[in-house]
Amino acid sequence: MTLQKIIIFDASTLISLSMNGLFEEFKKLKSIFNGKFIITEYVKREIIDTPINIKKFELEALKIKQLLDKGVIELPKSIGIKDNEISKKTNEIMDIVNSSFQGNGKEIRLIDLGEASCLALGKILNEKNIVNVIAIDERTTRMLSERPENLKKLLEKKLHTKVSYKKERVKFFSDFKIIRSAELVYIAYKKGLVNLSDGNVLDALLYAVKFKGCSISDDEIREIKKL
Amino acid sequence: MQEKENILRILKETKEAIKQGDIVKIKNLSNQTNNTASRTQDPDNITVAVIVYSIGKILERDKYREYPEWNRFYKNILFFINEIINSLEENRDEKLKKNLGYIRKEINNLSGKLKKYIQDVFRKASINKASKIYEHGISMEKTAKLLGISMFELASYAGQTEISDVPLGKTLDTKKRIKLVIDIFS
Repeated sequence: MTLQKIIIFDASTLISLSMNGLFEEFKKLKSIFNGKFIITEYVKREIIDTPINIKKFELEALKIKQLLDKGVIELPKSIGIKDNEISKKTNEIMDIVNSSFQGNGKEIRLIDLGEASCLALGKILNEKNIVNVIAIDERTTRMLSERPENLKKLLEKKLHTKVSYKKERVKFFSDFKIIRSAELVYIAYKKGLVNLSDGNVLDALLYAVKFKGCSISDDEIREIKKL
Repeated sequence: MQEKENILRILKETKEAIKQGDIVKIKNLSNQTNNTASRTQDPDNITVAVIVYSIGKILERDKYREYPEWNRFYKNILFFINEIINSLEENRDEKLKKNLGYIRKEINNLSGKLKKYIQDVFRKASINKASKIYEHGISMEKTAKLLGISMFELASYAGQTEISDVPLGKTLDTKKRIKLVIDIFS
């Protein structure tokens, strides 16, 4: 069997895409992708099960549910990974993350189950040598993985307290590849999957996801537009 | 409650600022609650943060004072803040929680437009405080859960702020990240 590529989606990325009405482009991306788009059960709770009961976000939840029902996004069992395996790894990750950073002598609890479950699935796939990236728009998990020293500085600056972190523990998170909805709309645009031609389409797409929570700076947007 | 002394000071100063109608001071005190709430993630600390912010917003809007229920509401808010201060000074956690809850109840006891307006202020205060905690480095999901709001609300609100423009937030070269997406789609 050919090993497929996997994109693991955190709630934050699907929320940016959803709130910008970009699911048609998302479906087109899936159609050209040689692999699967996966969400964990924990993420499903955040973007379908919980908001489906909140009037303000019921429609968004239904749209995401439809993606799941139609197989555009799938659950880990579709790639032979059981929920209990993810739960176990998620708890392990929660323990490591939430005991890695300390301020005022107390542990700083940084992330929650959905985000941790994305990292857990990424770890499991890495161990199986399955090529994967994690799509996550929120900032903290990305900083934790790619630049924990920046996260420490940010926490110190904002909390006005000395923060320490256990470098050896945090190394556990260094082998993830992370993208955001910004990179997804970039690739959709470059591959001609966005049905707009007039105007500054790439700029509009990048700012649209930024304004719905994708953690990307104006400088990064400028750089992407130059590529 | 964690970091009790700090919260006690903030509440005492808030009480005086309410009496003097010093909205700038209340906003300043509200900002001070962000650090404690982010550090401790203690539900009572977070509730205090939301209450202080909401009071600042409520007092800012003169038109609320025109409603017949305003005087009672204002008097009761001051009363419950005083009760919260007493609970903290007496180290009575259960009484503290009850009094924090009474402030919410006080809003539910209102009726008509004033009730709707003030409920809206408290709802927006929760989203604002969530955004502040996210800004402090706590994840989006964690923060949404702490404040009892939806991630959709937080993402949308945080997206309008300058959180993503903080230089420390850039964690990988732009070209390298674009290469990741190109590679996975190749």
